Amino acid sequence: MGFLSNTLVVLLLVGGVWLARLVARDRYWRENATQLWRRRPLALITLALFLLIGVLDSVGWVGGGASGEDDVAALRSRTLIDRLFQPERFTEASYSAPLARLSFYGGQPLKHPGKHLLGTDILGRDVVYRACKGVRVALLIGGFTSLIVIPIALLFGVFAGYFGKRIDDAVFFLMTVLASVPSLLLLIALVMVMGRGTLQVCIALGITGWVHFCRIARGETLKLREAEFVDAARALGVSDLTIIRRHVLPNIAHLIIITFALSFTGLVLAETILSYLGIGLDGSWGQMIDQARNELSRTPIIWWNLAGASVALFVLILAVNMIADALRDIIDPRTRREGR
Amino acid sequence: MGAYLIRRVGYGLITVLGVLFLLFVLFFAVTDPDDIARKAVGERARPEVYALWKKNHGYDRPLLLNRAYAAGDSRRYTDTLLFDHYRRMLTFDFGNSDADDSLIARRLKEGMGPSLSLTVPLFAFGLVLGVLLALFVAFFRETYIDRAVLVLCMLTMSIAGLLYIISGQYLIGMLLKWFPISGFAFEPYLAGRFLALPVLVGVVSGIGADVRLYRTIFVEESNRDYVRTARAKGCGEVRVMLAHVLRNALIPILSNIVITIPFLFTGALLLESFFGIPGLGSLTVEAIQGNDFSTLRTMVYLGALLFIAGQILTDISYALADPRVRLT
Amino acid sequence: MTWAFVRVAIITGSLALALAGCSNNPYPASDRAQKILYSSFSEAPKTLDPAVAYTTASHIITGNVYDTLLEYHFLKRPYELMPGLAERVPEAEPHADGRVSYLFKIRDGILFHPDPCFQLSQGEGRSRKVTAADFAFELARLADPAVNSPLAGSFGQVLGFVEFAETLAALRQTDPAFADLPAHEQYRRAGGIAGVVARTELELEIVLKEAKPQILYFFAMPFTTPVPWEAVAYYNGQPGREHFADHPVGTGPYRLTTYEKQYRMQLERHAAWYGSGVALADAPGAVFPREIAREDILNQQIDPDYAGRRLPFLDRINFVREREDIPRFNKFLQGYYDEGHIIKESFDAIVQNDALSPQMSARGMRLDKTVEPSIFYIGFNMADPVVGAAAGERGRKLRQAMSLAIDSKAYLELFLNGRGVLAQSPLPPGIFGYDAEYKNPFRQPDLARAQKLLAEAGYKNGLDAHTGAPLKLAFDTPNTTAQALLQYQFYVSAWRQLGLDVEINATTYNQFQAKVRRGAYQLFTWGWIADFPDPENFFFLLECGNAQAKSGGPNTANFCNGEFDRLYHAMKSLPNDERRHGLIKRMLALTEQERPWIELFHNEEYALSHAWVINSKPMGLSYPTYKYMDVKPELRARLQVDWNVPVRWPLYVALLLIVAVSLPAVRTFYRERQ
Repeated sequence: MGFLSNTLVVLLLVGGVWLARLVARDRYWRENATQLWRRRPLALITLALFLLIGVLDSVGWVGGGASGEDDVAALRSRTLIDRLFQPERFTEASYSAPLARLSFYGGQPLKHPGKHLLGTDILGRDVVYRACKGVRVALLIGGFTSLIVIPIALLFGVFAGYFGKRIDDAVFFLMTVLASVPSLLLLIALVMVMGRGTLQVCIALGITGWVHFCRIARGETLKLREAEFVDAARALGVSDLTIIRRHVLPNIAHLIIITFALSFTGLVLAETILSYLGIGLDGSWGQMIDQARNELSRTPIIWWNLAGASVALFVLILAVNMIADALRDIIDPRTRREGR
Repeated sequence: MGAYLIRRVGYGLITVLGVLFLLFVLFFAVTDPDDIARKAVGERARPEVYALWKKNHGYDRPLLLNRAYAAGDSRRYTDTLLFDHYRRMLTFDFGNSDADDSLIARRLKEGMGPSLSLTVPLFAFGLVLGVLLALFVAFFRETYIDRAVLVLCMLTMSIAGLLYIISGQYLIGMLLKWFPISGFAFEPYLAGRFLALPVLVGVVSGIGADVRLYRTIFVEESNRDYVRTARAKGCGEVRVMLAHVLRNALIPILSNIVITIPFLFTGALLLESFFGIPGLGSLTVEAIQGNDFSTLRTMVYLGALLFIAGQILTDISYALADPRVRLT
Repeated sequence: MTWAFVRVAIITGSLALALAGCSNNPYPASDRAQKILYSSFSEAPKTLDPAVAYTTASHIITGNVYDTLLEYHFLKRPYELMPGLAERVPEAEPHADGRVSYLFKIRDGILFHPDPCFQLSQGEGRSRKVTAADFAFELARLADPAVNSPLAGSFGQVLGFVEFAETLAALRQTDPAFADLPAHEQYRRAGGIAGVVARTELELEIVLKEAKPQILYFFAMPFTTPVPWEAVAYYNGQPGREHFADHPVGTGPYRLTTYEKQYRMQLERHAAWYGSGVALADAPGAVFPREIAREDILNQQIDPDYAGRRLPFLDRINFVREREDIPRFNKFLQGYYDEGHIIKESFDAIVQNDALSPQMSARGMRLDKTVEPSIFYIGFNMADPVVGAAAGERGRKLRQAMSLAIDSKAYLELFLNGRGVLAQSPLPPGIFGYDAEYKNPFRQPDLARAQKLLAEAGYKNGLDAHTGAPLKLAFDTPNTTAQALLQYQFYVSAWRQLGLDVEINATTYNQFQAKVRRGAYQLFTWGWIADFPDPENFFFLLECGNAQAKSGGPNTANFCNGEFDRLYHAMKSLPNDERRHGLIKRMLALTEQERPWIELFHNEEYALSHAWVINSKPMGLSYPTYKYMDVKPELRARLQVDWNVPVRWPLYVALLLIVAVSLPAVRTFYRERQ
């Protein structure tokens, strides 16, 4: 897990830097960014908050903290979120309602009365803490997987669209075969075969999501190939690779971004189904929901576990959906709604 | 038209062959048949029992090349797992389940009825309700109704399907006691009550996305020139919507529907599992939880077949419906 | 105008339908007055072949469809064997050379269920009498390696049992024609089992190589039921015929009439059970016990009017598949299942102060608590170099420390509402050798002492004293459900307090089995429910010969202690006397110190039944008791209606809201038309 989380941080930083450069240099992107900010400020702030939590939860080290030599907790790698919440101390015996002073069963005084904003779960762990830990897993599923898959899909798609003929036939066939299998079933089959684990699930999600990007890349490249400036560049004798780098890639970037935003939510929701089937990732919101779903039937009802995970999931997906929608309106003129 | 059909079906067949190869790699090359045998037979059986089981289930031959035969003998290539896999899948000879040795074909037949009795009403109600709502909203576009519904759609789209099922069961089955929480009956007059709740939950969870999409299509359509002409001629808005917009918007809607058909098959996975409906989705979930690879393989294959068939049908219906589409 | 009218009509029509048909009763109205028991099952049975069926799911069918030579007395505790199909419980007859034999006299006139398979022997007839040969056939099937019975190992002491299996395997290998013969022919030609002799048509003799008093318990399990060779030969899975595993043919009080195992199973009364002759009418297996203890009547488990009456009372037993706990329990609360097991989500509403809550008592429900003869434990892989025997003193202290850190009481409170008896040793209450006063010093949670022991083991604060590196341990499990993971997290948090870093490796079943086969596991958790009420059925899980690493046996902890094995072999065939007690005490002292297991708890079942269910005393040992039970259908129908009144007001409110919201829209629409 450590390796993956560090890679995530690095990739996010790299991605962030690239995005910032794009916005700073290119007037077109700067306008897009400003428009996006004007339309969906709340969604962007929410997303930024989630990203912050995700990054904070990825930076961790052993030791430190204000504890003595006998502090067992200091021996394991703890992230900034762990250090903020101090889960070893912040745990109760079992359930407690949000902001309660007494335990839910038995009415015993809590160790930290009134401090648990969303109460505690069956093992006494703070729900807000667990929801925060789930942010990184969700970003891992949606973001990390896409970040790995996009370059590969671009490679295949662009080459297929640009060079055409045999390569195109081969890639198109591969895409059709993968797309023909219902993605959930393919996902399940892949995880069953590879076994349960974070890397396996990410690879499986990557394989099932690859087709989406590849198809967009290929379609756009096909169109661009006929464009005049590409013809001109070829006439001037510019090498194929340079044409791809300078003319094709920047023109499909906007579609890639939109597709990324749209597929992000699909991936996170797919993982909740995997968690229900028992083959999801540990610590995810899907797992929290699965663990908490029977609690609704308790009398008296225990709702805060489910609520914490569901609300976090809902807010993130809503934010991404809204941003994706707005992006699509701004960037892709063809889908702009008429009749305004 | 005929040439187009042949080409389309031909390409579909090749895709099927490709899908089968993918399945072969997944289920034979990557998984260990010994593991499957042990899971099915039990841990402490004698080696010959495992060997017999593998033989009966077709796991005992080599993968690609059977070197037990001489180089010129064609059986070198045909007495292998690969060839057997292709032959059986293409002839729909699915064999026995790895978990309990029942005939998969029989389980499929038994499961099809309950599955269809869930997904067909789900599909139909979802479509009708989605189209009606979208028409309604498109009629009132740019008014407060339109905006409110769009916001509602966005919100409902962002809720996980799992949560719809959990809260639906709780609210309607337990609190309001309108319908049974779960279960099924094969007798048609009893089945209605069991299906009401899963259909309701399924329709509500999918309607957000549908309404948004259809609304966009309807609005786009209603801004076209011929519609403006109709309005200028004095047709009432309702007539315009129904007679002109709806009819022509059906084409893009149709293409979207086909994409969702295989998702009905897999989306019903959760619904069937939670509501105790003994259909194909339930069968798949059990295959997952029981490590039953042969059943899982069959389900994936059938899902792919449905999808490919659906795509061919869409392309053909598109070509038939829209004379502008060139048939190449 | 027509458009609006159509809309209104549709809405009204569907609402009317909804309101009228609103009811959550899942059963057809025609069944309401019949003597049917409604129950549920969560997993489809894998097989109904009595030689193979080992799960509770299959047992609810096989236990009712098949009869056995001996049975457990329904009411007496501790469990007592009584004659079933046999005329009496046989005494052990020792021979000079150490062999022991048992002679069963089978009742005359017991008929199999009518079935087309008997065409093979009776021509037009549909049934026949049970003979000793039918028992011999089933025992031969138990030995048959192709049948792969899980209990084959337990019959090893029967004379010629193992040799018969070898002979069969050898004959099949060498002669392909032999392998194609039907099973009963193969057994005949292989000579049968030497120690299973059908002396006469109704006399069966079992000869053992050495004394094994527990063998009698096996004759109360469906594994030794009489199986007609016709059924196995006829139901061979050929086109048009089912497998024998899906089509049981027995002699029991019920017949399996509906078997849609993914969804529903039904048993119906067998009219000719125990025949109609007077001679059989008084067989102890066919009548309700005549003597009923006072406490059974006082706590309303048994109705004394039923004493001595002919069984069974129910006409039909209906099982519906319920995969999820909560819908199943809710249906029980609604009255649609007649019996239920309590789930932790509803515990506080049902049980208060150790008894039924007032609301539930008011409904007439009964609560029966039974401690099952079971043990749930965390096991160490004793073959592992770090936590096992190879680590010597260090390993032992590590295991003892880890054992001291686990608080079973807290675990029971959290996950099982306290339902269970804290385990101090592998033996549960009710088994000979169990001592209620015994307190295992390593099962009284003591964090300070645990830390001290850990330091003595050289792992102070979880750091290896020699290398300075933290000790990493692995907890392996094939159970990936949410609830299980929470439970494992509980253990991990307990060990974290010692500084130990235990990682939960929840994998798919295949991955887990691969690990077990390789011996690549350190910690695991397991549960075991007794097959029969004898301490040997628990200690065999710790005997070296059964070690997973050696023979793939059930001793997954790979516990190999010479002294323990010696004591085990000495005590396993003794009667329950002082000498046996002494040996058991010494064995328990060994497990106490060596800690191959951290004993967690013995499960306690809280069985609930409704007021209209009669004679529902739970039996334990997964022994179905439906033949003793009865129901009052009118009471049930009445209470079901009382408890399930649909709540209609939200529907009306929702309608009102829809109308209110769309009214301005409709008004705008009409205005535009003008």
